[in-house]
Amino acid sequence: MDFHDRLADILARMREAGLDCIAALHDGAHFIEKPDPVTVLTGFKSLGPAAAILRSDGSSTLIVTPSWDAERAGESSVRRVIGAHDCIASLGDELGQDARIGLAGMRFLPSSMADRLGSIVPAAQPADKLIFDAARTKTDDEIAHAREATRIAELGYRHMLAIAKPGMTEDELAAELKWQMKSLGAEDNFLLLCAGPHNRAVQPSTGRRFQPGDIILAEITPSYRGQLAQICRTVTVGEASAQLADRYALVVRAMDQGIAAARPGVPMAEVCRAINAVLEAEGYGEYCHPPHIRRRGHGLGFASVRPGDVALDNDTPLEPGMVFMIHPNQYLPETGYLLCGEPVLLTQTGAEPLTAEKAALASVSG
Amino acid sequence: MFTQHPTLLIGPSDWDQTRMPKDEFDRRIAALWAAFPDASQAIVFGSASRHAELAYLTNFVPKLEPGIALLVRTGAPKLLFGGGPNMVGAMKPLTFITDMAPLNALAKLIAGWDSPLLIGGGHMASATRKTIAEATSGTIRDATPHVWSMMRRKTPIELAAIREACTILDRAAAAIRNAAQAGAGITTAVLAAERAAIEARAQDVRTLFSRDGGRTLRPFEALDDTRADPLQVYVAVRRFNYWAEGFTRLSNAPDEAGELAKALLRAALATVKGGTGIGVLADAIASGASPFQIHPVTQAAFVSTIGLSLDPPTGDEVFESGEVYSVRVGLTADAGQHAIVSAMIAVRDDGNDVLWQSRIA
Repeated sequence: MDFHDRLADILARMREAGLDCIAALHDGAHFIEKPDPVTVLTGFKSLGPAAAILRSDGSSTLIVTPSWDAERAGESSVRRVIGAHDCIASLGDELGQDARIGLAGMRFLPSSMADRLGSIVPAAQPADKLIFDAARTKTDDEIAHAREATRIAELGYRHMLAIAKPGMTEDELAAELKWQMKSLGAEDNFLLLCAGPHNRAVQPSTGRRFQPGDIILAEITPSYRGQLAQICRTVTVGEASAQLADRYALVVRAMDQGIAAARPGVPMAEVCRAINAVLEAEGYGEYCHPPHIRRRGHGLGFASVRPGDVALDNDTPLEPGMVFMIHPNQYLPETGYLLCGEPVLLTQTGAEPLTAEKAALASVSG
Repeated sequence: MFTQHPTLLIGPSDWDQTRMPKDEFDRRIAALWAAFPDASQAIVFGSASRHAELAYLTNFVPKLEPGIALLVRTGAPKLLFGGGPNMVGAMKPLTFITDMAPLNALAKLIAGWDSPLLIGGGHMASATRKTIAEATSGTIRDATPHVWSMMRRKTPIELAAIREACTILDRAAAAIRNAAQAGAGITTAVLAAERAAIEARAQDVRTLFSRDGGRTLRPFEALDDTRADPLQVYVAVRRFNYWAEGFTRLSNAPDEAGELAKALLRAALATVKGGTGIGVLADAIASGASPFQIHPVTQAAFVSTIGLSLDPPTGDEVFESGEVYSVRVGLTADAGQHAIVSAMIAVRDDGNDVLWQSRIA
């Protein structure tokens, strides 16, 4: 599948929904959990607020801020690009002639934008599902970019093992890793990294210094050409205890079961159940639910975060071409929170991990 | 300036009370209450991308999910954070506020508040705004413009933070020069600047660069090691929550655009003092630009205040003593040269102090 195939799918869905056009919006604050319908429609990742209009005849318009970014936007698939000072005002001008309008991205807009837009097109209907359903599987390019992002993540992890040491702060290590992965081509990175003797969760880095006995948690998530991939890894400062090694092996086993359960046609919830079953069998049933764990993985954007969370309430049937994370990321009372996860591509035969090396408990000198 | 906003803020940003003492925040909050004598509560919102007001009043910069500070005239402030209760460990180091709770407690905590001030409300999602409106029976009052007016004049402590950011900016600019002189391509030079900033403990660093001699700017999207002459790079660095920004330009050939831009910037800086009209300065730059036109990047933004935000609200009409500005001069010609230079200045009654200025090499 390529970008144009996806666009054709969206156009077919628009006809079915009786829409003359779709207006997609994004405020430019890119976030791993915030899907970007503008990127889905255009392939463009904006600096500021941006809007994309797709009409039922297949023509499209891209409105970008700041206005001086229009030329870069012109490198996207869209022929007509408007550099605007005020994205909403320009969008209002463009939508003047359209009757049946679908809007995507409204839920994630700041209220200052959403309120104005609502008054400009009060009768518009939500079109998020339409766009993001069409982007539930990745294009060939996005899959290739996910593979490259995964390769960069693994190189980042190797670098982490080479340089992490007691006395270094979480912030210092995170900033260094982000820079190193950028030097490999990753334009962005959702790099959660923290440490402690008994972690409760993986969190953004702070100025805390690594100490012997710490367990470092790292969700290494570079983006390559707009496509994220993630690896979840756990590293001890000093040698791991036998108990920790044993419990980490359990979490890896749970992940393996989740990967094995992911096949075409299977609801995503089954992947979560397969992971939980391994942990429940070892007596950790109460730790398989909030507040200890919310999900066992998730989709990977930025454009679309489908097929959504690896969670018991997600019945999305898996399809070849979907890319998502499977990460048990389990809190255990004996060890604290442990990170273990791989990005996978769903194929006709099952889930193919994109990593060259699967998660294994590692250590750095203490 | 707009830059590409990262999906997660990464870099040292723990509250350092030796640099940003609690007294500084106490004074700001006291000034807020003084400006609204009939207000007893304030709701201050910030996200990872839009948080200047929240940082100003609490030092808290959300790295991931949004945060809300609940300030009360009498009593301790409370900080609400997104992401669930297990995230509290990463939130505590970022602010002096010790009383924290997950964001989903918001409605319960503000239920019955009468006429609270809302600050940064335009940045929040409509659903959050609706929650606040319902919990307070629609009595909220927007105090955001007032807080922005409070933020304009910098205290000595703020100025010290900006000066430190400028020092880091200078190192980053030097790294670009050194890399380019060593024959590095565009993104290698940009990455050298970012590395220099990180090594100098920048809290954040953003870059834009040109692949076409300064005609257009773009963010890092992929490695591109072609060599550019002239090389035009924009760098913004952050320290103790305060930003500094500047343009670096390198050229091995005669550089009429760069020389004129530099001369116009120098002339502009010579005229700035408290009370100088910003429009007057814009006209002076525009009239001296011939045979070039004003660059699209600086067309609508040849000056802007800078501090806790890289793209603050616009609309200032005169420079005021105590403010810190980024002044940018950009020139372009359809088939010719292009150049952008800039300076960071602190405005005084009788002139200005140049905190950082582009060097053209």
